[in-house]
Amino acid sequence: MTEKALGDEPERLPLDAVQRWFQAVITHPNGVEEGVSSQEAQRIAHLRRDEIERIVRRSRQLSAEERIGIYAFAYYARLLEVLGEGFPSLRRLLGQEVFEGFAFEYLERYPSRSYTLDHLGARFPRFLEETRSADAGEPPAWPELLVDLALLEWEIAKVFDGPGLEAERPLAPADLEALGAERFASARLVAAPSLRLLAFRFPVNDLYTEIRNAGEGDEIALPSPAPERLALCRSDFIVRRYPLRPWQHVLLEALVAGGTVGEAIARAAAVAEADESTAFSEDEIGRAFGAWTAAGFFRALA
Amino acid sequence: MQPRLGHDHLGLGVGLRSAHFEHILSHKPAVDWFEVISENYVDSLGRPRNVLAQIAERYPVVLHGVSLSIGSTDPLDFEYLGKLKKLGKEVRARWISDHLCWTGVLGRNTHDLLPMPYTEASLRHVVERIRVVQDVLERPLVLENPSSYVTFAQSSMDEWEFVSRMAEEADCGLLLDVNNVYVSSFNHDMDPETFIRSLPHERIVQFHLAGHSDYGTHLIDTHDHPVIDRVWDLYRLAHELTGGVSTLLEWDANIPPFQVVHDEVLKAKRFVAGEPEPADAAAPEAREGDEPWRDAPLGGALRDAPAPHPLHHIRPEVQ
Repeated sequence: MTEKALGDEPERLPLDAVQRWFQAVITHPNGVEEGVSSQEAQRIAHLRRDEIERIVRRSRQLSAEERIGIYAFAYYARLLEVLGEGFPSLRRLLGQEVFEGFAFEYLERYPSRSYTLDHLGARFPRFLEETRSADAGEPPAWPELLVDLALLEWEIAKVFDGPGLEAERPLAPADLEALGAERFASARLVAAPSLRLLAFRFPVNDLYTEIRNAGEGDEIALPSPAPERLALCRSDFIVRRYPLRPWQHVLLEALVAGGTVGEAIARAAAVAEADESTAFSEDEIGRAFGAWTAAGFFRALA
Repeated sequence: MQPRLGHDHLGLGVGLRSAHFEHILSHKPAVDWFEVISENYVDSLGRPRNVLAQIAERYPVVLHGVSLSIGSTDPLDFEYLGKLKKLGKEVRARWISDHLCWTGVLGRNTHDLLPMPYTEASLRHVVERIRVVQDVLERPLVLENPSSYVTFAQSSMDEWEFVSRMAEEADCGLLLDVNNVYVSSFNHDMDPETFIRSLPHERIVQFHLAGHSDYGTHLIDTHDHPVIDRVWDLYRLAHELTGGVSTLLEWDANIPPFQVVHDEVLKAKRFVAGEPEPADAAAPEAREGDEPWRDAPLGGALRDAPAPHPLHHIRPEVQ
């Protein structure tokens, strides 16, 4: 018998059809009643709301609809909770209700397809970018702040549980000092696997710190747009944040892309020239490399 | 057949949760064994995996998964199985368990332990998939009876008959979650003692214990309270019928300090011996903050129910 015909005999649905029907009903954003009436569910079982017991039995105390409702409620409750735990600063900034509004829509558009909840938020920053107002433009506005903060939190999560150098000895400041000026300029460096170079439209690193330190009732001041560059790197299994000047960001990007130290410094110099507010000198460059190697930004010389 | 499918009786263990990482590493508590949620570690290259490696050096470890989806009609995820097998070898897992359930179809994962219709067709489907999984893992799979909130009109057998025949036909082990038996029996108007008496006891490798929430019309497996006495009574029955197997306490929400969780599973010794719990057992040593579940609702309206087990998320450490 075809599935179409079996739709009139929901008691006899094969296992795959039962599962597709159940999933369509419990994941419907408007609840069990609309889930049962949805096209997706009706394609499998031609049921009215008062006929659900042809698939799911009632108990002494609950109707079939109420029993399915436990799964329907849990589906969104669980995933909203996990997304909130994955983006705690964004949730704090927006407030629970507004955050869950975004998260609910996100779950509808990008339901989990992974065996792990760790991947649940992977597309959330992109989703926020996609759903921002179409007339948003220059200067960066509220939606961009949300996207930037979500990106920061997602990158932190990835760095936390991704590869690191805890079992190795990273490149140390003394290793660079031992090279001498000429070999230093022609050296190429292998970045630590946890190193992330991030560029934001809002100063979300400070905002992230402010939110982490805020008490429950504290008001969070919204920052004005201002470009911010940041490096993330993990040591001792803790994700650490390093604010970068524009020239430092460019220099590190050039190194990560495989350029020599000399090439990277030349690129950084061009950026620094256009930025009168920043100090750029041999001493500054030396101090930066000292700090970055001490922080474990580099695995080794290439 | 050897009891417990030949597995050791590991004693009284605790489910490893990230809230207790620091305490366990620094205090090295005298716990018999730990069970870990597989999905929290199969991909980890950071702190969680490092902590697990240290714990596996000192304690017996068992892998307990929530995403195998053995009952789903979607294809098995062989990439996940490969990772599970590798992790099992690396931490010398005593056994690998998951749930008799499905978590999604059409490529989706609801991250819930969804119930099976108990039919001959479902039984054939699950048994075939268990055999495949056991071939990949090169070890017997151990499957747990989940808590459930619906039953299907098309079911032609009781849950315990399905579980028993599944275990015999697939030659797999069973993880008897005593709290789940109680929760499902309440929700489906079944007799929990009949459930436990009807199982093939020599195939039971492990027990789970946990607390749940009572919503009057139904129970939800929230893992956020101490074990209730009626579940301890069922545990004693299961202990008598099996001769005793590895026992593990799960606590997944409103998680109290480690010692409180450990003390809860140690109560098993008293209940097995038939001694009642002293009325004020926890009172003398309890400190502020030790009993967060006291602030959690034991029940409420149908729609207010918390998200039931399984939830697993490890918060990043960041400076």
